[in-house]
Amino acid sequence: MKPFVCLLSALIFAQPVALIAEETASRATMNERHKAFLQNHCEGCHGAEKQKGKFRVDHLSFSMTNLETAEKWQKVLNQMNSGEMPPEDEPQPSRDAKADFLEDLSNVMVAARRSLSDQRGAITMRRLNRREYRNTLRELLGVEINVSELPSDTGTGGFDTVGANLFMSGNQFEQYQTLGREALTEAFEWQAAAGVAKKLRYEAETFTPIMEKFVAHQIDARERARNWVKAVEEAAALPENQEVVARLKKESKNDAIFRRSWEKIPGAPSPRTFGFDKKGENDADLANDSLGAGWLPYHQYYLRQPALDRGAYLGIQTLHPAEINANYIELLVPFDWPVGDYIARIRVAATDDAPPERRFLDFGIHARTGRVMATHEITGSMEAPQTIEIPLTLTRGNAERADRTLFIREKGSWDTNEEGGRKRSEALKRNGIGPELALWIDWMEIERVPNASKPKPPGIAALSIPLDDKAPAPTPQEVHAALERFASEAFRGTPPPPNYINDLMALYDVRRKAGDKHAAALKETLSVVLSSPMFLYLVEPGSDEKRRPLTGLELANRLAYFLWAAPPDAKLRDLAGHGELLQPEVLAAQTERLLDDPRAEGFIKAFTHQWLGMDRIDFFEINRALYPRFDTATKLAAKNEIYETIGYTMRHNASLRELLKADYVVVNRVLAHFYGISGVKGNAFEKVSLPENSPRGGLLGMAAIQFMGGNGERTSPVERGAWVLRKLLHDPPPPAPANVPAITRLAGKVLTTHERLLAHQEDPQCASCHRKIDPIGFGLENFDAAGQWRTEDSYQATDANGKPDPKTKKTWTIEAAAVLHKGPAFKDYFGLRDIVASKSDSFARGFSSALIEYALGRPCGFSDEPLVESMLQQSEKKDLKMREFIRALVSSKEFHTK
Amino acid sequence: MNTPLNRRHFLRSSTALIALPALESLGFRRFAAAAPLAPPKRLVFLGFGWGITTESWFPDIKKPGADYEMPAGLAPLARHKADFSIVQGLCNKYSNEGHWGSTMWLTGANRFAEPGQNFHNSISADQVAAAKLGLNTRFASLQLNGGENAEASGHGPGLSMAWDLSGKPIGGHKGPVEAFHRLFSKDTTPIEQQKAMLAQKRSVLDTVLGNARALQRGLGKTDTSKLDEYFQGIRDIETRLSKDEQWIGVPQPNAPLPEPQPGLAGREEIKVMYDIILAAIQTDSTRVLTYRQPVSTLLTSLGIKVAPHDMSHYHSTMGEKLDASQRRDLTQSELLSGFLDKLKATKESDGTPLFDHVALAYGSNIRTEHNLDNCPTLLSGGGAGIKLGHSIVAPKDTPLCNAWLTLLHGIGVNAERHGDSTGVLKELIA
Repeated sequence: MKPFVCLLSALIFAQPVALIAEETASRATMNERHKAFLQNHCEGCHGAEKQKGKFRVDHLSFSMTNLETAEKWQKVLNQMNSGEMPPEDEPQPSRDAKADFLEDLSNVMVAARRSLSDQRGAITMRRLNRREYRNTLRELLGVEINVSELPSDTGTGGFDTVGANLFMSGNQFEQYQTLGREALTEAFEWQAAAGVAKKLRYEAETFTPIMEKFVAHQIDARERARNWVKAVEEAAALPENQEVVARLKKESKNDAIFRRSWEKIPGAPSPRTFGFDKKGENDADLANDSLGAGWLPYHQYYLRQPALDRGAYLGIQTLHPAEINANYIELLVPFDWPVGDYIARIRVAATDDAPPERRFLDFGIHARTGRVMATHEITGSMEAPQTIEIPLTLTRGNAERADRTLFIREKGSWDTNEEGGRKRSEALKRNGIGPELALWIDWMEIERVPNASKPKPPGIAALSIPLDDKAPAPTPQEVHAALERFASEAFRGTPPPPNYINDLMALYDVRRKAGDKHAAALKETLSVVLSSPMFLYLVEPGSDEKRRPLTGLELANRLAYFLWAAPPDAKLRDLAGHGELLQPEVLAAQTERLLDDPRAEGFIKAFTHQWLGMDRIDFFEINRALYPRFDTATKLAAKNEIYETIGYTMRHNASLRELLKADYVVVNRVLAHFYGISGVKGNAFEKVSLPENSPRGGLLGMAAIQFMGGNGERTSPVERGAWVLRKLLHDPPPPAPANVPAITRLAGKVLTTHERLLAHQEDPQCASCHRKIDPIGFGLENFDAAGQWRTEDSYQATDANGKPDPKTKKTWTIEAAAVLHKGPAFKDYFGLRDIVASKSDSFARGFSSALIEYALGRPCGFSDEPLVESMLQQSEKKDLKMREFIRALVSSKEFHTK
Repeated sequence: MNTPLNRRHFLRSSTALIALPALESLGFRRFAAAAPLAPPKRLVFLGFGWGITTESWFPDIKKPGADYEMPAGLAPLARHKADFSIVQGLCNKYSNEGHWGSTMWLTGANRFAEPGQNFHNSISADQVAAAKLGLNTRFASLQLNGGENAEASGHGPGLSMAWDLSGKPIGGHKGPVEAFHRLFSKDTTPIEQQKAMLAQKRSVLDTVLGNARALQRGLGKTDTSKLDEYFQGIRDIETRLSKDEQWIGVPQPNAPLPEPQPGLAGREEIKVMYDIILAAIQTDSTRVLTYRQPVSTLLTSLGIKVAPHDMSHYHSTMGEKLDASQRRDLTQSELLSGFLDKLKATKESDGTPLFDHVALAYGSNIRTEHNLDNCPTLLSGGGAGIKLGHSIVAPKDTPLCNAWLTLLHGIGVNAERHGDSTGVLKELIA
């Protein structure tokens, strides 16, 4: 592939450094036209004559080329944002003039910050971030461990690959040692259990006699309770008890509570004589409860169903699961089954009358905390049930009962107590029984799959000495050689220094002398390798002053951590070692291979998550009373839609434009059902064509994107507008300024969202950003806080007790028409989407900058403009196809330079 | 390379000044323990991320002095009115991030101070104190964190509220169980074995240090300073091991409280963490503590469904967001009030209450919403000898670091300045 060479020369010759500097300077410069504003409103007190607060603006340079000047302008911005300057008793600038000044100053400030923190291409050495560390252990040892104890490496605003922001501390070093030890233990256990095969099936009809017995017990207990009540009432009716009964009745809220005082009524029998023993608490409570025989009709309804001799139904939670559990089926993976790959299988059918929204099965671990891992639509019928297979991995982290108890349950039937209770009482009101039974289970099974035939993970293969103490311990020479091979593998092909191996060997010896057996000493020694700098850091030696091209191995590392978030595999390292990887055509082919590999998910997910700011999805929960359809499984599917769509476009090398507008979605059955779209064939995410005029298709049509633009209850046009500007239009509003006085006068008033936000236009401090943000948000108002399409919205004020006051309810039809600031008008969401879609060049620019930062591990500065331009040029020739951006970046000089 | 001599040499040659264990210090401690000694000073910082409710948390700014009316948000603290002061008018002038309630709270740093970098921080006030107060305790300082994601609680970047001499984040203990074990888990290993284990740990450090040095060869300046973090981390462990060595044979104190239940969150978590802080002071395990409190789970534990960030933006709708914000204030005040009760009720060996020897600051870099001025600041404890019982109003935008400097001076740490301080806060001088 020639372009690399051409591109290189183009970069070197076409962009003199001075030009870049000039470009940078002009962005971080206030326009001269604002001189007048300063003269008219500031210099009276902060000029040549007076310098109130020892601050003057007449000498203030309009170019923010150093920190000092930037700080002074920041002060100007802060004072004006907080409304303190110009002082109230001085002549005020017009609203528009102030807004314009603030808008420019805010943007120039952002540019100045960016330009002053520009690393000018220097890449700070970086350590593996949290997820790369996890993936690297996975590639090395074949096991995935929980690394959530490590710091998340996000938070300073940049990508988690930016070396300058990846810190290290003593605590962390110790965590690496602990985690390394854990990974080794896990890996050793996998090896020991490689050949183990296990299988266990639970026949669901096991539950039928339990339910039969429970119903019989409920009927019997009710009868006994009635008899006891009768006896108590008889005693209470005795004339000599009149006085005490009157007093007790007065003290008791109802009959049941009255009966709790049976002991004080002479002649009333003990509940225990009727078989009610509440083990130390008031026995009357048990009798009272039994009288109600809670959910007896529902339990009897259950027993009237067909096929109970062959299976069981998944119902609702009626009584406490310890009493009777018709809500879910659990399967405990026996404690002595080892770590490894497992498959869960479920034979399941939907009942004939089950409505479409109730034909979904949730699978997860530990029903009480309800972590849903997979959700399947059930297409099998009672005549022809289907078998579902769910692969899963059990690790040492699954040691506790709760963490190895698998469960299945009807989707969303009990995500939360409130939600389950709501569904239950709704059905009860409708039919007097409870929710109809919709899913039938024949059996559930768990199987451990032997993995002896799989190739050993490279770290284990490199050791090639016994990992347990069954065989005689290897000789010191053998251990020494094994340590060297392992360290070399762990250091991604860099040979470990000889002294280092000697030190490791000494550690091993000390442990052995202290009484450790071989396996324990080995594990301890290897854990030191996994917390050594050569493992933790991606090293590219070189001086600050002189840039140099990367070596083959360094390039392999950079490429693999970019496209896999994992170390290079043997093949890539091989090509790197022989220098072939430095040839453009080999590099191009490897780029394609890496993108085609399943490990590319490590890139897609992490990049997408950070690029699109998806952490907000987990910041809050949906209000389930308002949005009952957005249950746990749906939220998970909605979040995954974003990853899956980007993954799809990358796999199929689709155009980036399709993320702005598309005639298809990439969804699974759960989400297709939520969107009301048909045509999903398999059980995973797949591409489905959309009917015409669908609001779906592209990022704006995704439920999770719109969900993020709200708070789980109401939509936030501001969040949404700012997100579109930041992520789609590459025109980020400046960060929310500190200390802007809040608008409080509208609180408690009943207004439409539109009316409320109009207040932003009044104060210039607000208007300077909001006039750009808010109109975009208005155009998205047809999506509710769960991302469902709606045509009207309503608002209720809350009363003094914080409860919504229905008297104040105001409902309105959504008007999505708006005019973009200094831009075109649109009449509805579709119009807005078309405008956004027409700006694919801006979107591509933002995407390129994000890729640069992520891949190179440093912020994308103004000095990177030529690189961004070249990526755009190359991609535009190919209709902005996703992989073109990657190809262009990988073949750029920057990607090859330390 | 493996001899202890070399390692010591490495420690001495480092840029940071490391207090090597002086053999005398142990002897001195034992000798000193025989004579009655004034109880030591302690410094405690309690930080919450998302600020407070401006309208109901601050006393009337126009009526400073001792006769102020207790605002609703502080009502649960009324019984301690004479024993704390509220200071208004303080801020970190470089703070710009509306979601960073703790990152620069104790440092006053300018995140943009370093050209070519987009994040910079400097040493936090607690660490300035720890360099002096930490010499004779088992832990130089303790950093405690809420058991949840710090970002959800509005704390901003950082591994705790503490930042070291070079402005790098210092790790903290997450939640009460971890903190409890760090403080009170008994080491029942025989002394000889403890020494052997220390020696082994040192060999591990020597091994990775050797590896780091091999790696350092050929690195440029920026990368070298990045790798310095690793060296610094190892140095910190070395210092800790030296401390451990110094403390071998000195049994861990008996925990004055039972082991906390796992899984505590929100209100219960804070309550237990306060007990642990009290226990750490009581047993003189450390004299410098910071606690980055959970806010997100605090709301959940109160049954509040409003998202924490949303809550701080209560101005737009008031209603339930304001309600959430105020309930948060009340609960936090209640918890603090309980903590002050216990500090007063617990006695030093000389019979004086712990309270008299503690300097305590409670607050956030965020006031409300994205407001970073008039940072909520409550100061208490008799340790720093500051003026208590007053509503103090400092001139607008006085550096928050002036307050920190005043506390440092008050507990005998005579730093010349801290962060962007311009001097001590004269309004605080009793």
